[in-house]
Amino acid sequence: MPKAIIDIKDLSFIFDDGFRGLNHISLSINQGEFIILAGKNGSGKTTFLRHLNGLLMPTSGTIRVNGLEISKHLIETRKTVGMVFQDPDTQMVGDTVFDEVAFGPENLKITRARIKEIVTKVLETLNLFHLKDRNPSTLSGGEKRKVAIAGILVMDPQVIVFDEPFSNLDYPGILQVLATIMDLHRAGQTVMIATHDIEPVIFEATRMIIMEKGSVKEDDVPLNLVGRLESYGVREPCFSKFGLEPQSWQK
Amino acid sequence: MAEITPFTYRPGDSILHLLDTRLKFFIISLVNISMLPAGFISTGFYFFMLLFFFKKTGLRFFSMLSNMKFFLILLVFVFLARAFTITGDTVFSSFGVTVSNQGLAEGGMVAFKFFLIMLTGIIFSATTKPSSVKTAVQWFLKPVPFVPEKRVAVMISLALCFMPVILRQAKEVSDAQKARCAHLQKNPIRKTIGIVLPLLKKTFLSADNLILAMESRCYSDDRTDPEFNPSGKERGFFFGSIAVSICLILF
Repeated sequence: MPKAIIDIKDLSFIFDDGFRGLNHISLSINQGEFIILAGKNGSGKTTFLRHLNGLLMPTSGTIRVNGLEISKHLIETRKTVGMVFQDPDTQMVGDTVFDEVAFGPENLKITRARIKEIVTKVLETLNLFHLKDRNPSTLSGGEKRKVAIAGILVMDPQVIVFDEPFSNLDYPGILQVLATIMDLHRAGQTVMIATHDIEPVIFEATRMIIMEKGSVKEDDVPLNLVGRLESYGVREPCFSKFGLEPQSWQK
Repeated sequence: MAEITPFTYRPGDSILHLLDTRLKFFIISLVNISMLPAGFISTGFYFFMLLFFFKKTGLRFFSMLSNMKFFLILLVFVFLARAFTITGDTVFSSFGVTVSNQGLAEGGMVAFKFFLIMLTGIIFSATTKPSSVKTAVQWFLKPVPFVPEKRVAVMISLALCFMPVILRQAKEVSDAQKARCAHLQKNPIRKTIGIVLPLLKKTFLSADNLILAMESRCYSDDRTDPEFNPSGKERGFFFGSIAVSICLILF
């Protein structure tokens, strides 16, 4: 039985203007899972992800990360659940790739020598070390996403959640980011990806959750759900439409 | 990708790249103040010294000049303003405007000094990482009471990082307006409002995303202290800058 890292019970969230963003969600996220969080725009995917990282607090219900209530253990939560945002341009705070990746460990008051060690290791793992002195704003879209992932990975999280990781990327950029995510998953990382385009990841994912109007509508093995995707406003993958065998996007 | 401006940091390993940023601040302040009473000989000497450092740091002088054309036009105006307003031995007089020998000499000198200050600034910003500027400012502010130096340092760093993002967004907004024939609008106020309002909206949204991204990486004022890595050549540069300043003041 895999260990549950995140345990969510009856989670609801209401925005200041009264709009109900999340509606009685209960689920667990287990170690080593690769989860697709699918749904059309406005279905509540981003709102849900932000709760996992403690950026939003539930109006009602509870979220426990490794058994700890997130509202009382915010720093531990953020160290355990790393979040990669949709637009890397607006999350870069360092003027070089190295400084950008070092931002998180600096916040945790890790010693300078240790920061150098772990940042170097992560940059080497993600094949970014040759870019360490480059300004992040001068990198390609795929490289920026990888730097954003490095900035999270350096904090050694157990779960990484990605909010639309393939948006605004060209095909080589998608492949680059997909390969990085797959390497992380193979290394034992728990991964959750919020997306409305499931084609690149459906072959690799172990579970798919479909959201609509702030509620979880489906939660199953991805291949069991492909036929029902379009009823929730998510495009059905080509292999399913044309009756083909599913294929990995990875070369 | 972001545009490279004359003031963009360029990675390198020249002596100026490796010099302690606090000393660079000191040298710039000292030399620029000493420039006020400097004469023709010493400014000429300083100009050739700057050319030497341009070569040493791998910066291309003439390409920099072409990037600075708007500043050079401003210098022409400074020169003309001086030449037309300072009285002395008349060189040329027409339509009530008199140009004097002293005005030409004074105008030339002031414009040349501004030019040298600008070149010094370019060398400084091209060889100094914005993060080093931030850490140096933090170091200088540390003894100042009631100033949260770490917060000020992060603000500086964010402003430097956000500048390319805002410039890119401004260009996007401007292009989008042009695509809808906004250039036909003759009223400069309406034209400005058309660009400023969407740009402000975009900037605030980006700032909001940045705050969330920083929070998700455990941002705190109490961070790992910055590190200075002196190159060992600081003593020589310190005394050298004092000698240059004395020359500028005396000659």
